Amino acid sequence: MTHDELRAYVADKFGDKLTLLDTGRAEPMYEVKLSDLHDVAESLRKDETLQFDYLCNLGGTDTGERLEVHYQLASIYKNNRIDFKVMLTDDKPSVPTVQDIWPAANWYEREMWELYGINVEGHNNLTRFLLPDDWDQGHPMRKDWDAPDFIRLPEFKG
Amino acid sequence: MELYPVFMWLHDLLESTGIGEPWSTIISYGFLAVTVFGTLSILALFLVWWERKIAGHIQQRFGPMRTGWHGWYQTIMDAVKLLQKEDIRIATRDKAVFFWAPVVCFVAAYLAYVVIPFGENLIVADLNVGILYIIAVTTFTVISLLMAGWGSNNKYALLGGMRSAAQVVSYEVPMAVSILTVIVFAGSLSMVDIANAQQGNIIFNWFIFKPPFGIIAFLTYITAATAEANRTPFDIPEAEQELVAGYNVEYSGMKFAMFFLAEFVNLFTVSAIAVTLFFGGWHGPLLPSWIWFLLKTFAVILLLMLFRWTFPRLRVDQLMEFAWKFLVPLTFANLILAGWFKYAGWHW
Amino acid sequence: MSALRTEEFTVNMGPHHPSTHGVCRLILTMDGEKVVKVEPVIGYLHRALEKICENRTYVQCIPILDRFEYVTAMSCNYVFALAVEKLAEIEVPERAEYIRVIMLELNRIASHLLFYGVTAMDIGALTPFLYGLRERELIIDLFEMTCGQRLTYNYIRIGGVARDLPPEFVPKCREAVKIITDKLVDYEGLLNENPIWKVRNQGIGYLSPEDAIAYGVSGPVLRASGVEYDIRKNDPYSIYDRFDFNIPTHQNGDCYDRYLQRLAEIKESLKIITQALDGLPEGEIQPKKKINAITYKPPAGEVYARVENSRGELGVYLISDGSTKPVRVKTRGGSYNQLQALPIMVNDCLIADLVAIFASLDVIMPEVDR
Repeated sequence: MTHDELRAYVADKFGDKLTLLDTGRAEPMYEVKLSDLHDVAESLRKDETLQFDYLCNLGGTDTGERLEVHYQLASIYKNNRIDFKVMLTDDKPSVPTVQDIWPAANWYEREMWELYGINVEGHNNLTRFLLPDDWDQGHPMRKDWDAPDFIRLPEFKG
Repeated sequence: MELYPVFMWLHDLLESTGIGEPWSTIISYGFLAVTVFGTLSILALFLVWWERKIAGHIQQRFGPMRTGWHGWYQTIMDAVKLLQKEDIRIATRDKAVFFWAPVVCFVAAYLAYVVIPFGENLIVADLNVGILYIIAVTTFTVISLLMAGWGSNNKYALLGGMRSAAQVVSYEVPMAVSILTVIVFAGSLSMVDIANAQQGNIIFNWFIFKPPFGIIAFLTYITAATAEANRTPFDIPEAEQELVAGYNVEYSGMKFAMFFLAEFVNLFTVSAIAVTLFFGGWHGPLLPSWIWFLLKTFAVILLLMLFRWTFPRLRVDQLMEFAWKFLVPLTFANLILAGWFKYAGWHW
Repeated sequence: MSALRTEEFTVNMGPHHPSTHGVCRLILTMDGEKVVKVEPVIGYLHRALEKICENRTYVQCIPILDRFEYVTAMSCNYVFALAVEKLAEIEVPERAEYIRVIMLELNRIASHLLFYGVTAMDIGALTPFLYGLRERELIIDLFEMTCGQRLTYNYIRIGGVARDLPPEFVPKCREAVKIITDKLVDYEGLLNENPIWKVRNQGIGYLSPEDAIAYGVSGPVLRASGVEYDIRKNDPYSIYDRFDFNIPTHQNGDCYDRYLQRLAEIKESLKIITQALDGLPEGEIQPKKKINAITYKPPAGEVYARVENSRGELGVYLISDGSTKPVRVKTRGGSYNQLQALPIMVNDCLIADLVAIFASLDVIMPEVDR
């Protein structure tokens, strides 16, 4: 399936649940509403034509304005790739777990919970992961987090 | 170079100075003990160096090269270093057991040398139950390893100790039975008698050339001996990739050195027994008997070293299966058939 | 006689343990020699590479990502360069692409040779380790000749490579290919049919294809479970579609097949290198519009680039807002998922099997902890 065919199929199948984002590249990137996330993920996994059975990557992002969670999926047997992400605008960001769909998500979600402070509903083991057990200095991957010796690189003019 | 005359001369000398029995005998035996102990310690140090060189050359490197000609005194320097090291004693150890484990290991390793003939008349005591004595005292090693495993109060050490107990006890059976086959040939338990029974006829009187029983007995013996000496592919008690270092994980300095040296003394022991039982002991033309003995022993040691640096390690349950399901039936069948042949008076 | 009371005990394997390849800690619940449960604990090598990358310019990110997966640092360089090239649609000169493929494949072989040695050592055979490293040294020498570094190369840059190959590279590389091809026979002879090696590895650590996919396992481990999936073929990048090579697979999904799988992949990589050396064109090695290390700004956008390295899928998710620094660099390495799948392979195996399984996954900790 080419990227265009995939776009057409997804538009046909999911309608407005998956909104195509303009990322300026060939591979499609979609936005999902938080309320639809788990359903969409499950349909992408179960759909006979798409069969996204393989989770490439999952993680949080802090763009400075809002938090996002991105999901990169691949299908081993159908050989497709799709990306989608969910924007989190809430003060207490939270996403449902996709562990029941892709067991691989377990560690990725745990890492995201720890480094970004994005809660994962339904996760079975949200405990300290990459950081020390006694860490109490917040979520270091957020843009507003600064260590005492962390010096920001200035913007260079070309 | 013969121990009996030396012993008698020393004994007479002490008698003439007026020291009566039992002191003259005790002192003369003490002198013998120190001699054997010293020789063996030097041999063990040499074996460590030799093993490192062989390992190096198998692995396309040189091994020790910096200390002297081809690093010949590397192990002496290592020993000096180990003696100087701090003896770390963890607080939660079982004090007495932790202390005595290396001592028992060290002593048990040397006990076997009472009856091993290094050459013609070069034996501390020619017991008429020599080989039985060896089987009895070498088993002491397992007690020391269990002690080390228990006394360290460390889970890895405990696992190592339990593994070594299971392993040594299992391999004791095929080892003893394959030795029994030789005893059937020789008709004696004395090490000297066994060696003498293989005299003459160039090398074809050696028990290894008594087909098929001799060669089977040798192969089973050398397999069991590798396990007894805790060497690859049977080195599971100290398997460093699994148990870090097994029973000696908490030992350092001098105590570690004692375990380490005992291991190489054990290596020499099992090879020396193999030579006496299967390769005609010290018998050989032209050269002095002790040189023949050492040459043959080093040849067997070389074989064991090649095993170590070639094979991967077996797993603990596979090791046990191999002993009980393969080696034990094989050695027993071998023993019974050899006994039957002997009884029937057939020559082979 | 009343039954003996037994109890399970917990063993802390690591972070300092000879066979956890660095600083992985495995909490084992054991029943005697039997491992009942294993729980990996990671994070001892967490260096916040992703956070550091957010505070660097694009070109400065490449040496940071060298440290991400240092055994195959070339592919870490490459995957980041690929992400930026996709984002900015930079055209890479032909010669640079060929050089990249040669480097990536050489690095894959070097990594698999290291695996060969380390795995053999974990099973208790000490000699193959030195043999594996001996041939790896040939490759490392080639890298040193080209870019001056032996482990963290910083060689593949955005839009090309850092410098051209030295003139003696091609003959030296051909010689190394020939030597490794010859020595592979030795490697196989030493272990493949060794009965101890076989009983230690066959049937140990079975991973079904379904579980492998569900846990995101990739690379040789996935292919050893019988799934024919290789990003070089399925989602081709660079110029891999020009070369003739196969994707070997094995069906049993045990430690032995993972070992055979990697040896088979070395052979395929050697094929690719020979073809790339034959086809190596003359020309530029950097794009016409030079990339300034300090002021380079790719257009705003986001991209996920992935390549197949020796441990599976190596991916970078890159978000750019059009400034000189990336907003987000999310890395993904094969080891992360392989280690996550470790507990499902360990079902009532012995501690010795656990070591064999861990070795067969070829996990390297900097990639997991980042």
